[in-house]
Amino acid sequence: MQNITVKGLKKSYGSKEVLKGLDFSAEQGEVIAVIGKNGAGKSTFLESLMMIRDFDEGRIELFGKDIRKLNAKAVRELKRDMSTVLQPTNFYKNLKVKELLSLFNAYYGKDADLEGTIRRFELGEHMKSPFDKLSGGWKQRVALAIAFMTSPRLVILDEPTTGLDPYMRDVLWKNIIRHNREHKGTILLSTHYMDEVERYCDKVLLIHEGRAQVFDKPANILAASGHASINDFYLAQIGETEAVPC
Amino acid sequence: MLTTQLKYDLVMFFREIFYLIFTIVIPPATYLFMGQLFGGATYGENLNYVQFYTPSFIILITFSVVFFAFGFDQVMNRSMGIEKRISIAPVDMRTLLFSNIIKSVIITTLGFMTITFIGITVYSLEIGFADFLKSYGVFILINAALLTISSAIYSFFKEMKSALVFSIVLFQIVLFTADFTVPVDGMPKFIQVIANLNPIYHINHLFIDVWNGMFSLNGDSAISLGYIAALVFISMLLVTRKARN
Repeated sequence: MQNITVKGLKKSYGSKEVLKGLDFSAEQGEVIAVIGKNGAGKSTFLESLMMIRDFDEGRIELFGKDIRKLNAKAVRELKRDMSTVLQPTNFYKNLKVKELLSLFNAYYGKDADLEGTIRRFELGEHMKSPFDKLSGGWKQRVALAIAFMTSPRLVILDEPTTGLDPYMRDVLWKNIIRHNREHKGTILLSTHYMDEVERYCDKVLLIHEGRAQVFDKPANILAASGHASINDFYLAQIGETEAVPC
Repeated sequence: MLTTQLKYDLVMFFREIFYLIFTIVIPPATYLFMGQLFGGATYGENLNYVQFYTPSFIILITFSVVFFAFGFDQVMNRSMGIEKRISIAPVDMRTLLFSNIIKSVIITTLGFMTITFIGITVYSLEIGFADFLKSYGVFILINAALLTISSAIYSFFKEMKSALVFSIVLFQIVLFTADFTVPVDGMPKFIQVIANLNPIYHINHLFIDVWNGMFSLNGDSAISLGYIAALVFISMLLVTRKARN
């Protein structure tokens, strides 16, 4: 079953055309990396899927529903099956971590496994800390916990591992894999860490100059391009010089 | 959902020192302090300190809460990306708005009761039950007017720093040109002109009249009411237009 279908997505900011007719689709349970240079349109694409960024032309279907044909109530219903991590990560600064989890659980109206979420994201020691007092990495950890807490069918993560130490990056990926395995959740994430793309993702979407330049499995991409790694392939595709051998 | 949001909105308000100082601490402290200095003076139409300044400080608290904890708070949430993050969650934006409005009404009511309590216990304030109820009813209408004006003004701000500077400057202007401190009648002419343009000055004087059972519809009160109604109408148009966008 297709969770996401995007056809001919176009978006301009003033005279700058950021998305120039992007096509994309995601099956339920797929983990897909969205890669591209800074300013390539990754965030605009993801925010269009999150229904917080209007687009100029094209069509987006989430769980088989055209999002432009939905009324406000139907949009809210759809959002109950989605979650996200934005960049930068910010929540109500004066609320404690446990209060934020509780509030967002109320937003989703689901009986979320709060204890399990706290354990999986190792938040125990900071449950009583105000969000504002946390370091950047901990804030990101809270944002990720909130994103996965309600077991949504679709999780959209905009550069989720930026600012995380290697240990926490590992914790995040374990949770993505667990969520994907237990709930057949679709994960869509933008990242600049190509090692993560190669290691964990089912498919890669490369956005270049506003279009989906490549959309395939990492193994297929490497076989077709002859590159040794996704990083080398990426640099070659966006027109940068060959990667310097280590 | 509304009760949960309201609970956390109130929790956040009482944890924000900046809001507490400008809303709960400064106005009652100034009311007490000024009473010690000018308690024996006569103001306006033969009103004593407690008759003139009790309703005034209720309006000052209401202004502070509505402009800081409601208006400025919206800018802060917008500029920090909190509004954006919440808009992705399946929560009705009207729930958030209602919660914010109810929060403001609860906190301003707390201010209303605090000032009245200080007036009764420290300055022997006397107010009849009917006048008290009438004043509270008008106070709720004032809340609604200020919430609308505040929403419209702060909808123009995208950055927290500029909104903060604006809020602090506005607080000072309102403090000195709305008859909250030194009577405007005794100030230079240009301050009196500014005061007449200041809607809080008009609101303050209407409320003083209602509080003391002196309100009557005459030329002055009609001008004040018309001016406030016009500002509320313009603000509603602006808020509706922004919401549509």
